Amino acid sequence: MKAPAAGRDTLKFKQKDFDMVKEGVVSLAIAGVLIVGVAAIWGAPYRPAVTNQQIATQNPVLVEQTALGDLAGTGAIATYGPPYNNGNQSIQSIGPFHPQTWWGTPYQIQTANADVLTPLSMLANASHNTALQTALYTYDHATGAQQQKWDTNLNNALNKAKAVNGNVVIPQGDYGPVSTMMNYELSLAKSGMLSGTLDRETNNGVYRYNVQNDLLFLQGSALHQVAGNIDMLGEQWGINHDEQAYPGPWWLTPYTFLYQIPPWSTSSAGDQMAAYSVAILFLLLMLVPWVPGLNKLPRLLRVHRVIWRDWYKKLEQENDCANCPLRSECSKEFKGVKRVAARPGFVPACYQHA
Amino acid sequence: MNWTKSMRTSVSEKLTWDNLLPSEQPVYVSSLVYSFGVFTLSSLVFCIVSGVIMASKGPLWYQYSSLGDFMRSIHFWSVQAFFFFMTMHLVGQFFMGSWREGRALTWVIGVASFGLSVVTAFTGYLSRGDFFSQWNQVQSKDAFNGAGFDGFLNILNNGQVYGLHIAVLPLILMGLVAWHLIAVRSKGVVPPYQAKITEQEGDKK
Repeated sequence: MKAPAAGRDTLKFKQKDFDMVKEGVVSLAIAGVLIVGVAAIWGAPYRPAVTNQQIATQNPVLVEQTALGDLAGTGAIATYGPPYNNGNQSIQSIGPFHPQTWWGTPYQIQTANADVLTPLSMLANASHNTALQTALYTYDHATGAQQQKWDTNLNNALNKAKAVNGNVVIPQGDYGPVSTMMNYELSLAKSGMLSGTLDRETNNGVYRYNVQNDLLFLQGSALHQVAGNIDMLGEQWGINHDEQAYPGPWWLTPYTFLYQIPPWSTSSAGDQMAAYSVAILFLLLMLVPWVPGLNKLPRLLRVHRVIWRDWYKKLEQENDCANCPLRSECSKEFKGVKRVAARPGFVPACYQHA
Repeated sequence: MNWTKSMRTSVSEKLTWDNLLPSEQPVYVSSLVYSFGVFTLSSLVFCIVSGVIMASKGPLWYQYSSLGDFMRSIHFWSVQAFFFFMTMHLVGQFFMGSWREGRALTWVIGVASFGLSVVTAFTGYLSRGDFFSQWNQVQSKDAFNGAGFDGFLNILNNGQVYGLHIAVLPLILMGLVAWHLIAVRSKGVVPPYQAKITEQEGDKK
């Protein structure tokens, strides 16, 4: 047998037989039976994704409100800021520290064009819809003030609007071409084609990998309402749990917990603060070996006495450590050793000599 | 200095067969806690195998076919088992003070593996293709953007998230786990804290 590598302290202890390969195979078999068995019995959670089409059918007013906010530049994404556009409503900042803005706007979205004008002009061209073409032309050639007036009027009307047979009913008013545009936007969403046009914008061609604009259209009230109904909002421990009967990603509990308490739950930079708080905690865990106090904590907690109970029992019974090979290391860990070992005739119950 | 020679010397000293595939272990190794590590690894094997099968069929297969759904279930429960055993392993090793006697790097790599696993699992949740993915994608965008990751990561880009989940992150994770294992095997499992009876007897005198 080769000489043990320098510093390998475990070989200074008495050894016993161990079959590593057998242990590996047995554990693989046990894990396999458990995992495949549970998967076969319970399956895994899956709730179909929510589509624009569903929202348009169930809540047509909400779709028109979302689209109008995107058109008018008042919606949550229209005013978001980096990385999507030059807004500033969703920039998170701890004091002057806001790394969100460092990279500019790499994932550009101008919501008026992306969510409304481009999809509607595609619809108008594809269907030779002169009414829609005229509405788009009129809107495009109106002054900013006029556009804003129409948008505001329709927004006020939509706040009181009702859905009748899947259509949005509003009182007569000065909405210019905007109400026509919103009705076609709703039709496009109901048909299922709105998602297609939104996806097309972020994929530069045939293949579909980036669903950014589709998700950003839905991300506000639409998805929040669905999530709220199944207790998935951030303040309901959101990400931490999955469909009710299944375990979720419980390992995110420390992170999700922060969202339940101030200042994380109340700050406008709550996400940024939570991310960095967890990063600091993680770093602390990683650096435990060097953190004074924390690195001595396990010795004080004495759970190791339970884990190594056979070993400690044996030590107590045999008291066989007169020539402890690790005595110097022991004295680093335990104040008592030097004091005790210095007394003539005392035999410390230290590590067992092989 | 000859890099080849020094690497060969270092590897042959640390990675002996006795270290890598030991047939003996110290007598103090006698607890269920020691099995958490190997069960973590076993669960990871099932994560990887089921994940590779799913990746080979593409991300729609596991959403629309019953066999794909079953494979997704295996992947789901492998991940649950992986995190359960990994957490138990981490907690157990903390109570054992397993960074002692020159094992700090082993601890650091282990914790890094845990952290990377959390990120890997999250990208997996986002690749499920259901409401949970959709919802957590739009929710987490504010956290990733706010923390400054937006320069590198568009969490709403499924292509990027899926690529990270099935290739980039698992490769790094497997590298870390392999490094962790080699570190454990080259140093051996940490010896117990000194017995308390020394202190007690010492205190009596």
